[in-house]
Amino acid sequence: MNRKSLLGIFLFVFSAILLVGCSGGTTTDESTDSKTTDSEQKGTDTKADGEVDRTLTVAVGSDMVSFDIHNHNNTSTEAIHVNMFNYLFKKDANGEIYPELVEEYNTIDDLTIEMKLKEGVTFHNGDPLTSEDVKYTLERVATDDTLREYPNYKQIKEVQVIDELTFRVVTHAPEPSLLHRLSRLGSGILPKNYIEENGFDHFLSNPVGTGPYQFKEWVRDDRITLVPYDNYFEGKVEEWDEVVFRVIPENSTRVSELLTGGVDIAVNIPPADWDRVNSNEGTSIVQEISNRVIMLIVRSTEGLPTADVRVRQALDYAIDDGTLANVVLKGGAVPTTTMVGPGNFGHNPDLYETYNYDVEKAKALLEEAGYADGFEITLQAPRGRYLQDAEVAEMIAGMLAAINVKVNVEFLEWSNFVEMRNANENKELYLLGLGNSMFDGAYSVDWYRAERMAGHTDYKNDRIEELLAASASNMNPEEREKQIQEISAIAAEEAPFIKLYQEKINIGVSDKIDFVPTSDEMINAKNIKRK
Amino acid sequence: MGKYLIRRLLQVIPVLFIISFVVFCLVFVAGDPVALMLPEDASQEDIELLRESLGLNEPFHIQYFTYMLGLVQLDFGDSFRYNQSALPIVLERLPATLELAIAAMIIAIVIAIPFGIWSATKKNSPVDFLATGGAVLWKAMPNFWLGIMLILLFSVTLGWFPVSGRGDLSHLVLPAITLGTGIAAEMTRLIRSSMLEILNQDYIRTAKSKGIRNFFVINKHAFRNALIPVVTITALQTSTLVGGTLVTETVFSWPGLGQLLIQAVNTRDMAIVQASVFVIAFIVILMNLIADILYKILDPRIKY
Repeated sequence: MNRKSLLGIFLFVFSAILLVGCSGGTTTDESTDSKTTDSEQKGTDTKADGEVDRTLTVAVGSDMVSFDIHNHNNTSTEAIHVNMFNYLFKKDANGEIYPELVEEYNTIDDLTIEMKLKEGVTFHNGDPLTSEDVKYTLERVATDDTLREYPNYKQIKEVQVIDELTFRVVTHAPEPSLLHRLSRLGSGILPKNYIEENGFDHFLSNPVGTGPYQFKEWVRDDRITLVPYDNYFEGKVEEWDEVVFRVIPENSTRVSELLTGGVDIAVNIPPADWDRVNSNEGTSIVQEISNRVIMLIVRSTEGLPTADVRVRQALDYAIDDGTLANVVLKGGAVPTTTMVGPGNFGHNPDLYETYNYDVEKAKALLEEAGYADGFEITLQAPRGRYLQDAEVAEMIAGMLAAINVKVNVEFLEWSNFVEMRNANENKELYLLGLGNSMFDGAYSVDWYRAERMAGHTDYKNDRIEELLAASASNMNPEEREKQIQEISAIAAEEAPFIKLYQEKINIGVSDKIDFVPTSDEMINAKNIKRK
Repeated sequence: MGKYLIRRLLQVIPVLFIISFVVFCLVFVAGDPVALMLPEDASQEDIELLRESLGLNEPFHIQYFTYMLGLVQLDFGDSFRYNQSALPIVLERLPATLELAIAAMIIAIVIAIPFGIWSATKKNSPVDFLATGGAVLWKAMPNFWLGIMLILLFSVTLGWFPVSGRGDLSHLVLPAITLGTGIAAEMTRLIRSSMLEILNQDYIRTAKSKGIRNFFVINKHAFRNALIPVVTITALQTSTLVGGTLVTETVFSWPGLGQLLIQAVNTRDMAIVQASVFVIAFIVILMNLIADILYKILDPRIKY
């Protein structure tokens, strides 16, 4: 009896499993059908006809970090935030700074700028934008040292409210790049009253800003959905009914989504997939120069061959940046001898789109330095962090072998790589990409400061020290620009870092839309049009 | 049985504590997350400041004490990446992972049981050769490769299924096949060998000699006895699936626990790693418990 009932239970479970299994099989077919009908009804993702499609879908490689604009330090997160938040100032495609939320501004003295906000700007919850919001926002990021953006805003001492729309930003010391700071990630204005009434956690799950799009939904690791804000101060953006950022970490999946029309824009397409995208009907790759320069950081510590400026120059002359940019990166980079790229304050055009390559000269320099028979060094490199980084590192080892320099390439996983750098365990060379979200060359050239690099590269040049000190508080833009340019020129000559190339950003775009990427890597939906 | 259950459930507590200690040590040894949180151009001073404000410069025992204090209240602390409490973030992903794991398991069972029985009853026939050979081949295919191939064929070329993401059932098909067929390969071979062993037992011969139809001999007498190892592997595989759908989740951008965990490990987001491992460990223990109960139902001779 007992055995029979157990058998009954077993048979029931088994048949249930079979039944569920079979129905799983049938749903496969049904769901295919339902998918087609769904897409036809909504006219969204597959957009066969193209006329009713009013959803812009962007495939990004990693999920947004947070809606706390002061606490992420992440360009791809900012690329989404720019649609929801406005900055006091903004940079145009040429890097020129123009006021966005600010109507007018005057410099009162070296420490103080007075600004007046535009009238009629409102947050997505209807509250008007006032000086109090600016004070709350900037003082939060300038005083709370747990925030990731604190180092970039701690220069601000306080914000004095003059009236509802007028306020003064006061810095601790003369701050030549204040406007650069106020036109980037971290300077988006937060709604003071909304946050104080509901708490910051509520803001994080229901964020409001003043931007052209407002928050609708965030499904972590899946999608962020934004919809147009009706009362946007520059007028409601009519182009898209919905902007969806889909998180697709795998490169080949992102490409497949683009090819099948699942997304309109796919960021970070690796060179291996460019042909696939370009040869597919209806999609293509668009490129724009990024603000990231890839280079070799050279250790100039006493006792190493690389302490000799001639050896560093020889390494520079032996590396063919043109081949790296055009062959290894398939044209996805521009060779450079400066860290300060176009669009950055202090850019020196003479040092850009050029590189040193002359193997004979490199050999002569080595001979002169007493290393005619060459030597052995180590090159540390991350793998998968930058475009084709491992291939570039190996190619460099091959190029240096031509001048008798034996390079041992050591690949490190990114977190170990970061640790190696922080612990000053860097060997003769390591491969690094440096961006500059400030778009102010002062931040790039500060890497040559002896005190900062003590124990790391141990490079020191007295003229550079002099120029760095002078430019740090120089409120005269013309003079400051010349100082930064001169530092770049000295560094191009002395090669404390061997600059290789500036990376391009590579974005796959559907032919149905008009999208021009910008070097700050932002995805501004209001500038993207349907064709 | 009741006492057994209570005893088993109480055993969960020390196991979870040991696991949490091991995870804490591993994360602690793995290194400091602060440098990874700041950009490349952050100064040493900025790094120190952030480390101090996150309490990461405290000695091991203080950090462990703070961690355990939170743990007993099921508070794993805030995620460094998301700046929010870790456990809700982990639990938010669980439904997606369970959905994929269950679908994959169903596919695996539906494929493995008939093929396993079939190849055992027709030993050394072409069917057996195909089933066992196919299983080896399938097991040898890496998940990410199979996933990408399925996308290229069924989404890009044929356009039958969406490429990625989580949505209606059509989104589930390709990732579930990717995962499920891999498990099916393993299960088919297991069912086959288990069935072969039982088909050679005396009681099967007796049953056959009594003139019972072959269909009943196989399905009633043999299959049930062959099920015990199958239950074991199903329970084990289901728990592996919960934590191990990592590659498939990434290929199909499926917003589950695996994807969260790999990102957390990469960014050394301790709270998320600890909370995820804790949740996964709990599920593994639970699945093992269910397997033990199923043994008893399948084989009444087993006593607890």
